[in-house]
Amino acid sequence: MKQQIIMFQLNGEPLEIYADPAESLLAILREKLGLYGTKAGCGKGECGACTVLVDDQAQNSCLIPAGKVQGRRVETIENLSRGDVVHPIQEAFVEKGAVQCGFCSPGMIMSAYALLKSSPQPAPEDVKTAISGNLCRCSGYKQIEEAVLCAGDKMKNRES
Amino acid sequence: MSYLYPSSLEEALGILRDGSGRARVIAGATDIFLQRLPHSLVDLTALPALSGIKEESGLITIGAAVTHSQAAASPVILAGAQALAEGCARVGSPQIRNAGTLGGNIVNAAPAADAAVALAALGARARIVDIKGLTREEAVEDLYRTHNRSLVDSSSEILVELIIKSCGINEGSAFTRFAARNALALPLVNAAAAVKVENGLVKEARLVVAPVKPAPTRLQRAEEMLIGMPVNRETRLAVEKAAASEVEVRSSLLRCSARYRLHLVGVLVGRALETAAQRAQQRKRGNDS
Repeated sequence: MKQQIIMFQLNGEPLEIYADPAESLLAILREKLGLYGTKAGCGKGECGACTVLVDDQAQNSCLIPAGKVQGRRVETIENLSRGDVVHPIQEAFVEKGAVQCGFCSPGMIMSAYALLKSSPQPAPEDVKTAISGNLCRCSGYKQIEEAVLCAGDKMKNRES
Repeated sequence: MSYLYPSSLEEALGILRDGSGRARVIAGATDIFLQRLPHSLVDLTALPALSGIKEESGLITIGAAVTHSQAAASPVILAGAQALAEGCARVGSPQIRNAGTLGGNIVNAAPAADAAVALAALGARARIVDIKGLTREEAVEDLYRTHNRSLVDSSSEILVELIIKSCGINEGSAFTRFAARNALALPLVNAAAAVKVENGLVKEARLVVAPVKPAPTRLQRAEEMLIGMPVNRETRLAVEKAAASEVEVRSSLLRCSARYRLHLVGVLVGRALETAAQRAQQRKRGNDS
């Protein structure tokens, strides 16, 4: 498809790019913008490794034609840490041993981030649902669930 | 031509008219990369005419661009079309439910689409407009041409909204599915039921199962048999038997053997019926809000 200008907000900053609107958002992020934190896994919405937030909702960036983010807010894993200070979710993933090979982690953390944005104190069942679109072949999910619950507590404590 | 963002239904229809078959509409676009891309994509998600869920004098109207996540969390749908909330909550994954729309679930024409199966059981009607300005209304299960091909032509027609009669007193609905995993798995079989129960007897019933044919399939013999029968275990078992004898299914490498699927058809229709009937009876007592 012919290239066109697409304007959106990426990690808090307004952005204007000239790109093929039928290319995937994932390809734009990784190949055009050099943001390699978002992982390319299955490429068809089955593994969740490419999860980003679009208007605060978790979505598979591999399935989104770039044209679709026109006027929207996109957040990637790169937006979570602040310099050397990692986000409480990232901290919790390390503490709980929720990272093994690490390939699913960015997507898993973005799904957790979307959940904690809308429900800061989730029940264990909510956590399971929130990460149900993310495959992890190392951990067996238990540590990840614990990490997300722990992250919720950390975020609450930091606010108070 | 390219990726277009119409801001009204009229503008979208105008683009399709000018595109003469080379432009097609998209909504959630979750399956767009699995298909051959057309010359132009017309994104409908921002159209006011296709958004929102409202209830008015017993009718629920759902914009075709409402996402599965929105429908699954909607108080109107949870109260008046429970099977649909349940079906929407089981589609794909959270990421897919945040993007995929109800209209897309129908027009994409997958044979066992969870929302479409629930909608068929609820007797949903789809309002469709075309580039000539004509409007038609069809039952959701009548919109299938063949496997994965809709009768709604994305290059000349737009599914605008879905209309469902809200669940009344003595009425209830339910959706159920069986798949290899709890998330991100196509259902081996899914089923939905909508019933009306009075004085413990079934007055009206719609039973839908998939994948049996290209479209969500109503079990008309089982439905007829149900009328006047008491809500109990014997009735459920009779319906399970009737349902399985009424359909023909194929073995599928993707799903399972025909024999297993036939067994699932009976069991899942029975489950959906039982839950729907329980809900109908709770509504009579007025403790189902």
